[in-house]
Amino acid sequence: MTPKGLRWLLVPLLVVPLGWLLFTGFGRDPREVASPLIGKPAPDWKLTTLDGEALSSADLAGRPYVLNFWASWCIPACVDEHPVLASAHEGHGDELLIVGVLYQDAPADAETFLARYGDAGYPHVIDDGGRLAIEYGVTGPPETFFVDADGIVRDKQFGPLTDELMADRLGEILGAASR
Amino acid sequence: MIPALGHVAVLIGLGLSLYAVVAYVLAARGADRRLAESARQAVIGSFLAAFAGCVAMVISLLSHDFSVLYVAENNATTTPPFISAISLWAALEGSILFWTLLATGWAALVLHRLRDRHRALMPWAGATLATVNLFFFAVMTWPGNPFTLTSPVAAEGLGPNALLQNHPFMALHPPLLYLGYTGLAVPFAFGVAALVTRRLDEEWLRIVRRWTLIPWIFLTLGIVAGAWWSYEVLGWGGYWAWDPVENAALLPWLTATAFVHSSMVAERRGGLRIWTSALVIATFVLTLVGTFLTRSGVVASVHSFTQSAIGPWFLAAILVALGGALTLLVWRIPDLAGGGRPSALLSRESAFLFNNVLFLGLTFAVLFGTLLPLLVQATSGDTISVGAPWFNAVNAPIFLALLFLMGVGPALPWGAASWTTLRERFAAPVLVAGVVAVLALALGLRDVASLLTLALAALVATILGDEFLRGARARSRRRGEAAPTAAWRLATRNRRRYGGYTVHFGVLIMAVAVAISSGLSSDVTATVVPGEVVRIGAYELRLERLVVEPLRDDPRVIETRAELSVSGPQGGELATALRDYPNSAAAIATPAVRTTLGEDLYVTLLASDAGTGAVTLHLFVNPLVVWIWIGGAIIGIGSTFAIWPERRAVPVLAPQVRRAVEPKPTTPSVERA
Repeated sequence: MTPKGLRWLLVPLLVVPLGWLLFTGFGRDPREVASPLIGKPAPDWKLTTLDGEALSSADLAGRPYVLNFWASWCIPACVDEHPVLASAHEGHGDELLIVGVLYQDAPADAETFLARYGDAGYPHVIDDGGRLAIEYGVTGPPETFFVDADGIVRDKQFGPLTDELMADRLGEILGAASR
Repeated sequence: MIPALGHVAVLIGLGLSLYAVVAYVLAARGADRRLAESARQAVIGSFLAAFAGCVAMVISLLSHDFSVLYVAENNATTTPPFISAISLWAALEGSILFWTLLATGWAALVLHRLRDRHRALMPWAGATLATVNLFFFAVMTWPGNPFTLTSPVAAEGLGPNALLQNHPFMALHPPLLYLGYTGLAVPFAFGVAALVTRRLDEEWLRIVRRWTLIPWIFLTLGIVAGAWWSYEVLGWGGYWAWDPVENAALLPWLTATAFVHSSMVAERRGGLRIWTSALVIATFVLTLVGTFLTRSGVVASVHSFTQSAIGPWFLAAILVALGGALTLLVWRIPDLAGGGRPSALLSRESAFLFNNVLFLGLTFAVLFGTLLPLLVQATSGDTISVGAPWFNAVNAPIFLALLFLMGVGPALPWGAASWTTLRERFAAPVLVAGVVAVLALALGLRDVASLLTLALAALVATILGDEFLRGARARSRRRGEAAPTAAWRLATRNRRRYGGYTVHFGVLIMAVAVAISSGLSSDVTATVVPGEVVRIGAYELRLERLVVEPLRDDPRVIETRAELSVSGPQGGELATALRDYPNSAAAIATPAVRTTLGEDLYVTLLASDAGTGAVTLHLFVNPLVVWIWIGGAIIGIGSTFAIWPERRAVPVLAPQVRRAVEPKPTTPSVERA
């Protein structure tokens, strides 16, 4: 290539790296950070459900469970993932527990949300004072943690779940149960 | 009904923009000239379509029509009408609709104003502008439809973005910024037209100078208004955090400012032509990158809206604009090269060249700092953030060098400067700068950057003042005019020159205010119960009571307010609050800001305990902050003065008189418009 022709290199030299860099930014939320909890025992808790019953992590011991931090004001993300959680709850029956955790939300608003979008029947606990959210390092709903039968946090979903993501993540904790 | 009409308006805008692109390209290739005329009308029609779309959206917001998803997500039945109306730019889809209104507005305005001129350039410029509009209409037709309907219709909406509701500045900052962003498509369009048609002489530069300065003014005011908003609302006591989206607004501003300077060399001396064309392209691409960063959620920032499907569209647009324009530029390099007369190191051309090198340095530094977190994450997967200290450390020296050039440049003649001229022009200013530095040192200022800023500001102000007085005195002597008349006439007959100096003067004020406010501010954090007193500077603040109550004009918002009485300067009552909005996880601060010309008392509520009535307060005393906004206003006034149409009174003068009044083009100190 002649020196004059070399200047044409300028075009791909600028366009390709910029395109690559901005493209890698997609599909990832900058606020998403890997949870330091992964591979570690899940924090213990004892809270009250929307139905007024006591529920604690000890009650869940021995079974894999999913902890879903959500809020009625988190729209559309929490609305979008709501049917995903419901169908996982229905599809897996007793081998899996799903627990919703209200993240900075009023119980009455949460009830309205469930009445409108369907209550799948799994329990929702009231995280008064947001202690559990702080222990789990939740930055904003929805965030979902996957805990295996040994009580170890295996994975975390930042942002809304889809059926594919749910199946994928559940594989990690359901697999551990049969191992 | 109304939302459906809005959607139809968007589709009409899409169709008209597509027609305008095709018709302009055909017209440019030698088809019937009436085709260009019809294309122009199509662009004006697309503006009216965007306007109709915005009206439909505002009506939907005002009438709380929750069948529209955007309204349901950004409005509630309790939302006051004013907030409803400005919710047009509260979130992604609405802001793109508003953006399109401004983009089509600029296109219609410039194509209409210049309709009978620049026959060769206009079709290509029109085609480029219509393509930009087409892109925005396409975004609204496919991934970001603002009129998406929901079913079932909710009885109550989520309410507007909490940050939007909290301060009236939100009615001002986004429109100003958007006016700047969208207007910068105009110079890009003429740059493309000049490259395509190979009409690379001064013609396009003359058009573009003015049409860059107008959006530049809006962008500048938008950035300053954003800083002011951040200071008044976010409650951290500062005004500029090098947030990625602040940077995204700054980047095109830097390249546009570089362009405004380099185009003077290109226009007058024929030099820097490749460079000047590249700047026009870079500015436009950076406005797109800025939009992309804001709208796609790629970087974390107070500004990022939710992640959306619009990102890939913007990415494609950035790559097409950058790739296409660069290809054109590289293709025309043989036509652009040369032409510049050689110039001496000590000349105004060289000052402009250095100015551009520095602006380029700033642009790269800011771009690098903004994109580095993306780069690190893409390569190693780690999450990092580049903070304000890094930006300050890297950019402060460049800003100081620019400040120095701002004084030196205008004092240097075009061509070459002699040592005698230099001595004569610089002796007094250097002396003044030295005196100011010594005085500041004696008064206790120890920060090197602040001292340098003060000294340089004194140097530049003396040079600018001297320059103006010299001109006014010469005029007064030559024509026997009274001094004020001579000064005013000198300025109004050389608007670009003295408007530019006024802008520089505004920058000086801003620079001094930034240096002093960041170098000499003090702050204190204290927890007090009612009746206790906290002291900062000359102020004594006593906590009277802690109040938690719903906001009067929107009872869904709960305000936690600390009421204090102040003794000392500016004594009286003040209240600082945190507001809990139903749709925001974090409470929004409402800091109390007591502004005087000398210093601001700034009080933020950090935490409170309703049981004991105890509050934790963060108090700042920030000197001279108000001068940052005053400096911004002076920049706005100066640049408006510079682009104001010249010599409106000319037609009433007799021809002989006019000839006498016109500046002699050969006088070196007089710049031609």
